[in-house]
Amino acid sequence: MRPSAWTAWAWPGLTAALCLLVFVSLAWGELSLDATRLWAGLRGTDELAATVLWQLRLPRVIAALLVGAALAGAGLTMQAYFRNSLASPDLLGVSSGAAAGAVSAIVWGWTLAGLWVLPSAAIVGAVVATLSVLVLARRGAGSERLLLAGVALNALLGAITSYQLSHGVALWERNAQLLFWLLGGLEDRSWLHVWAALPIAVAAAALWPLGRPMDLLSLGETEAQSLGVDVRRLRRRMLVLATVLAATATAVAGIVGFVGLVVPHGLRLLVGPEHRRLVPMSLLGGGVFVLGCDFVGRMAGGLRLGIVTALVGGPFFLWLLRRRA
Amino acid sequence: MSALTLNAVTVTGRLHDVTLDLPAGALVGIVGPNGAGKSTLLQAAAGLLPLAGGEVRWGGRPVAGIAIMERALRAAWVPQEARFEFGFPVRSVVQQGRYAHGDDETGVDEALLRFDLAALASRPVNQLSGGERQRVMLARAQVTGARLQLWDEPLAPLDPRHGLELLGLAHELKNAGGTVVLSLHDLRVAHCLDRVVVLDGGRLRASGTPGDVLTPGLLREVFGVTARHEPGLTLFL
Repeated sequence: MRPSAWTAWAWPGLTAALCLLVFVSLAWGELSLDATRLWAGLRGTDELAATVLWQLRLPRVIAALLVGAALAGAGLTMQAYFRNSLASPDLLGVSSGAAAGAVSAIVWGWTLAGLWVLPSAAIVGAVVATLSVLVLARRGAGSERLLLAGVALNALLGAITSYQLSHGVALWERNAQLLFWLLGGLEDRSWLHVWAALPIAVAAAALWPLGRPMDLLSLGETEAQSLGVDVRRLRRRMLVLATVLAATATAVAGIVGFVGLVVPHGLRLLVGPEHRRLVPMSLLGGGVFVLGCDFVGRMAGGLRLGIVTALVGGPFFLWLLRRRA
Repeated sequence: MSALTLNAVTVTGRLHDVTLDLPAGALVGIVGPNGAGKSTLLQAAAGLLPLAGGEVRWGGRPVAGIAIMERALRAAWVPQEARFEFGFPVRSVVQQGRYAHGDDETGVDEALLRFDLAALASRPVNQLSGGERQRVMLARAQVTGARLQLWDEPLAPLDPRHGLELLGLAHELKNAGGTVVLSLHDLRVAHCLDRVVVLDGGRLRASGTPGDVLTPGLLREVFGVTARHEPGLTLFL
């Protein structure tokens, strides 16, 4: 079917999926709640249900939505920036950069200085990784060059992280904390993490109006400039927003792979490449995808989010490569 | 009044000290062998390249002092070859020409008809042939409504009918007071234009009416071809 035929169904479909997933994520779990008890819990009249909902499930649902929106938004922005539909935060090493930053902060004990240290270290790592990709692969670079730059960067940052892990094997507790970053997940996410994810909402709101100029940019920077887009300013903004989104998501949930690649790409196939539609839809779609993967992982007996997204995203990516070949 | 002025324009390694003054209401061809600097000249004239020296003016105003949004209202540039990674529908790409006008749809449907694209309006642009893509880019430049039109080898991928239609449109724009500058390789077509600019090795070799400029001597020197000239007809041997 042509993209236009799906467009009409994309919004209602995503919204329905969102409502359904929010409902089942809140209701199902070790303590399953029916609709009445769920409502009572949300209002606080059922004390046990209220604790489960307000302390455990609700922050986790919100964190999942924010993390998914951030990763998909970052992926979409990077694809428009590099004019390459294979660009995404994890393939380009931005997520590994954020993880390496966070892991280093944990190992060197900086995290004791305050709660803001961990997200900040993740953002610094992501910024360093982003700048490295920019140097390694120029804009408009072919898929090959871009992906090779990503492979090199991922290997380098992976080595840093592995060194940190192997360096202090005796510290089990610390290593468990480190592993959290490497196998992304949303276990025990609290309101604190939701607050820490707030930059995502700000960056997503700032990304929204950039849809139209992103259309022009994704077809060529000189062309966009000649049509009235301030390309330098737009690119700077896109880079900052993509980095903030990817870094904050990684700071909250660790490395969650393939969301930034799969969600924008899949939606582009469904509704076409126009960013005015694709930006809001990727934000929503990313949230739905991560919430769904987290729910599947929970139902499968505590499979980590990063594992589920990779299990879904890996085959999709291979299919994509086959299709392009 | 001059529509486009290049004042000792230099682009490192590609264009040296080019001075040119083109009037409003003119149809101008830029010719020269491969690598002569035709594309660079057009991009520099469109204000899209950093200059190592010199200055570009539109209607007497230095382009460097015109805001990017306003530039888009005054000049349109069409690249030699458009590459599309994403499959935007044809109509959406043409409508991008209205970006600086607040993204309205003025003239979009007319341009689609004019460039024979109405039947392709919803086709993904990355699935089109070279000539069809070129028409999309020209239609996009058309809807900007800019008086200065800079086209980089627009005729090369077009079939004879669409090529002739494009020249017809260029004449219309010129008669309405616009300035159309296009690069081309076909010297026979160059004879139909008001003015010809000859570039060679990044330098301006000659500029003037086709009859004055495209002399057998210059053709031999610049292009390495021998030409026999008869009234109204140039034969290349």
